[in-house]
Amino acid sequence: MSMPLASTVPAAPYIDWAGLSPLLALLGGAIIVLIVGLAGPRGIRTKLVPLLSLATFGVALGCVIALWGQNLVLIEDALQLDPLTLILMLVICGGGVVAVLLAWRDQAAEEIAHGEFFALMLLASAGMFVLVSSRDIVMTFVGLELLSLPLYILCASRVREERSLESGLKYLIIGSVGSATVLYGFALLYGATGQTGYSDIASAISSNGLATDPLFLTAVAMCTVGFAFKASLAPFHQWTPDVYEGAPTPVTAFMSVATKAAAFGVIIRLFDVALRPAIEAWRPIWIAIALITMVVGNVGALRQPSMKRMLAYSSVAQAGYVLVGFVLVTDLGVQAICSYLILYSFGNLAAFAVVIARERETGEGDNISALRGLGTSRPALAIAMTISMLSLAGIPATAGFMGKLRLVEAAAAGDYAWLVAVLVVLSVISLAYYLPVVATMWRGETQPGTDAASGVPVLAGGAPEADATGARAGWELTAVAVLLAAAVIVFGIIPQPVFNLVASAARGLGLS
Amino acid sequence: MSISLTPWLVLACPLVGMLTIALLGKKLSPRAAGTIGTLAIALAFVFAVLTLIKLQALPSNARVETTSLWDLVNVDGVKIQLGLYVDPLSTFMILVVTGVSTLIHLYSAGYMQTDEGYVRYFAYLNFFVFSMLLLVLAGNLVLLIIGWAFVGAASYMLVSYWYRRDTATAAGIKAFVINVIGDIGLVLGTLFLFKTMGVLDYGQLFSGAHTAFEKDAPELVIAMLLILVGAFAKSAQIPFQTWLPDAMEGPTPVSSLIHAATMVTAGVYLIGRLHVLFEWAPTAAAVGAIVGALTLLIAGSIGLVMTDLKRVIAYSTMSQIGYMIMGVSAAAYVGGFFHMMSHAFFKALLFMAAGSVISAMGGNQSLNNMSGFRKAMPFTFACFLAGGFALSAFPLFSGFFSKDTLLFEVGARGGWYWALYVAGYVGAAFTVFYTWRMIFRAFWGEPCKEAQVVIDTGHAYHPAEHTNPHTGDEDDPSTQEVEDSEVGFPGKEHKYAETTWQMRYAMIPLAILAVIAGVIQLPFGVTNVISDFLQPTFADTIVEYMPDNSGLEAFGLLISSVIAIVSLACAYWIWVRKPGTSAAIQARLPWLHKLFINKWYFDDFYSIFVVRPVVWIGQWASDSFERVVINGAIIGGTSGLVKAGSAAVRAIQTGMIRSYAALVIGGLSIVLLYFLVRGL
Repeated sequence: MSMPLASTVPAAPYIDWAGLSPLLALLGGAIIVLIVGLAGPRGIRTKLVPLLSLATFGVALGCVIALWGQNLVLIEDALQLDPLTLILMLVICGGGVVAVLLAWRDQAAEEIAHGEFFALMLLASAGMFVLVSSRDIVMTFVGLELLSLPLYILCASRVREERSLESGLKYLIIGSVGSATVLYGFALLYGATGQTGYSDIASAISSNGLATDPLFLTAVAMCTVGFAFKASLAPFHQWTPDVYEGAPTPVTAFMSVATKAAAFGVIIRLFDVALRPAIEAWRPIWIAIALITMVVGNVGALRQPSMKRMLAYSSVAQAGYVLVGFVLVTDLGVQAICSYLILYSFGNLAAFAVVIARERETGEGDNISALRGLGTSRPALAIAMTISMLSLAGIPATAGFMGKLRLVEAAAAGDYAWLVAVLVVLSVISLAYYLPVVATMWRGETQPGTDAASGVPVLAGGAPEADATGARAGWELTAVAVLLAAAVIVFGIIPQPVFNLVASAARGLGLS
Repeated sequence: MSISLTPWLVLACPLVGMLTIALLGKKLSPRAAGTIGTLAIALAFVFAVLTLIKLQALPSNARVETTSLWDLVNVDGVKIQLGLYVDPLSTFMILVVTGVSTLIHLYSAGYMQTDEGYVRYFAYLNFFVFSMLLLVLAGNLVLLIIGWAFVGAASYMLVSYWYRRDTATAAGIKAFVINVIGDIGLVLGTLFLFKTMGVLDYGQLFSGAHTAFEKDAPELVIAMLLILVGAFAKSAQIPFQTWLPDAMEGPTPVSSLIHAATMVTAGVYLIGRLHVLFEWAPTAAAVGAIVGALTLLIAGSIGLVMTDLKRVIAYSTMSQIGYMIMGVSAAAYVGGFFHMMSHAFFKALLFMAAGSVISAMGGNQSLNNMSGFRKAMPFTFACFLAGGFALSAFPLFSGFFSKDTLLFEVGARGGWYWALYVAGYVGAAFTVFYTWRMIFRAFWGEPCKEAQVVIDTGHAYHPAEHTNPHTGDEDDPSTQEVEDSEVGFPGKEHKYAETTWQMRYAMIPLAILAVIAGVIQLPFGVTNVISDFLQPTFADTIVEYMPDNSGLEAFGLLISSVIAIVSLACAYWIWVRKPGTSAAIQARLPWLHKLFINKWYFDDFYSIFVVRPVVWIGQWASDSFERVVINGAIIGGTSGLVKAGSAAVRAIQTGMIRSYAALVIGGLSIVLLYFLVRGL
């Protein structure tokens, strides 16, 4: 349907409005939230705005569920709503709901105004929808930018805190390099194939024998690097720990789940559909990236005193595991990725909820010492954190184990058993940074003044005893943490519902 | 109740017990926690017996029952169920595990009565039994791995139970790390099997193995060797044995539970469970048999010189498990599991009796300080004697028949298995010596001051200050770390068997079994309870034995009796009649003593070649990877690190971004180069 751009004048493009409903809900919600956020009374701003954002994510989720199982073309050949899109939107909107709850009473929302904060979050989610449903490189880039720009601002949204501003600026600059790389890659791709639609690109590659064409390969290389950057895959991950650490924690939580899902969505679709005929060219490089990512993530996370930095490296490592599913390019592999993204998000978000709670309660920030003695002072939070750490480490009877089991099984079936061996060994190493968190919570009492992990004095303003009297962090954080932890256990024992959910994930991709 | 229900109830009892105790927590009185914990396991034993009855009601060629609750994974033909596999072997295991565990729980209820962490203790204990039962009943390798990992975690919790002892937490971590290494082996071995066969269920694995692999095919041998790594780590076989003696840091009933009756037998069970695959990969099975033989000799030799009472028993465990690993790897299944059963009885008993002695000693565990407890603690002495006779395979005691059945079956394989057969009898002599050395030193002679206190007052000796026996000089409490009596050693009051009914009633049945359990499987086919019962599981064995071996059987019994009686007489001579003899031997052969007392230098070897490099790499990772590579090299020189002040910080930050971007471009160039070079 799509021809060379110059001669295409779509008179009346076909648009499936019902299929677009999740996108419309998110965009509409963003506008409403922005307007309501202008209202004078503080009560409206601090209560109604988060509530409306929650409702928006809820409506979007409802639309996703209503469309479940469908395979629709949305706007001509530009957007496609298939099971993969829907599954990833489920993760993204679910992550959004949790992020709104986490951000509800957050300082960040206070500082750049609630309306803006939540509207940006909704806009970023809209960008993710475009990204995961796009079937055309132009739309892909639009989605990528619609996702990235709000996140740059959100990272910097604690405008009075240097770390946050630095994080936003860093993300903006480095993110732009990434976007530019992708854009250049797309331009070359168009140049090489003369097409913008994914399936047209695929047929152009096979019919013109482009798989060894230097121009085309340059394009593939640039796309690889650009998206590896967006999904924070090593060695293009360096921004991740800095940005994760500096950004307001609810934003970090949102990025670690939703952005990751969106990035993998587009990687799967671009490479498995558009660049599929050149699979022999790009698979080795992705295997190398997967190996480096798993190693760097797991080694980097060791002995990090900052919880957010540790979780950042942990998320790099987890992205490496997901890549094991990706390089298989099989139906089972895509299913395994989707189940992993779902199952991993529970433990990950629960961990962030606890970190936020402790940030607000102790004034020690995200340092691991803020968790000291949590087992006695806040057993509910400590249990949730314990479960989430065990899940991230992939201990049996947790969701994380089942996620890894699917990846292992898919890789073994796809003749990549040696990659699994690496995965297994590295996940054992990961115990060395997850278990100390558990030990810190259940062991001993708070030792005021110093950070026991590194022996470094706590930063100014961080004297725990001064903040010990501070109010509790809010019931919603405990509720989120406990519910997600419960989900970790439930899906660790009865995972089949999730597996059924993702059974059709690859239906729109034409994989074997 | 049908046979598809009772195994689930066996599993449910300890799980419910654990959850009840853990959730009610401090609301429970110690007595209630002990009662709930013990009853949960006792109930599990009842259901295990019911399972046995139902299983025996089936025709003997159909005694395999699989039952599943739901599918864990059911995708594209790969099906992993939450399912159990009930056959004579797993039923045999759950009977032993729940039976012995019930008695150990009962014993703990007395022994740990005044310990501060009593409630937590029983939650852990129930969790441990649950994990072990899951491991044994699992219907596929995934569920087995789950149980396997849980057992490792539970052992960590129990070994580090007295968590204020640094030595206890270190021992717990060591046990955990070595167990995790075993887990990796097991997972990778499973993966290799899955890769070729595409199934994980026992039934399908066993029936498909012969078509999927050639006999002794390299892939199968590698897979089975990896699985053996898991078995060795769990069963403390060389070279993964170093955690077991350290694990004596846990309370004595824990040693009894996890290091005699259940956990360490997991490796034996695993080899027996997968015997179809091991027989099809004879190279791997041979490795298992040889490692078992080496372990039984090395551990036995170390047991000869240890002076810590519990560690002598620990090395004895390691050595006895060596027999079983050797046995099941050499297809001596009946002997292997028969010995596992009788070992569970007498070893649990020995630990219980040792716990009673240690209580009376006020926490001191050194044999150098013990003597003359024979008169002070007649009941404990009688139990220790029963256990000692059984362990040293004295004729007509249970250990005599089980060890001989095992060695006879190994010898009946002929060929090079004769070397293992001989090793078994050499180890038997070691066994007699270390067993009776322990008994003669602790119970004979003039009463030591602690024994005198018991005789005079009828109460255990209480030192003024409690010390951790694993620090300083083990013979001299004044050199040891002083510790809080509420967490270091069970409670304010020390309980020993003579004054505590729970301990006594736990020990009596075990003492009886240690003496008479041999009658169920007597030589020359007189009784065949175990071989008949296990026959359906091992009916498919393809191993061939030498024809006509009744002569061998008689010869074995004779040799075994001679070794037991002569060695006992020698031990009596060395430690009772001429007490200076052992010191004289030690003086004549100092190098040998040094080798044994340093545990053949395994710990030092690991420290130099494994632990230190790993610590160094970890240090390097945190020092250089983060600081030098990322903050230093990438930022553009270490000068940025030392600069202070906000201006400098800004300078670093801009530099950082530039260098991050440079890295993206650099990475891109490499990727690009790869593609282009490849495309040309």
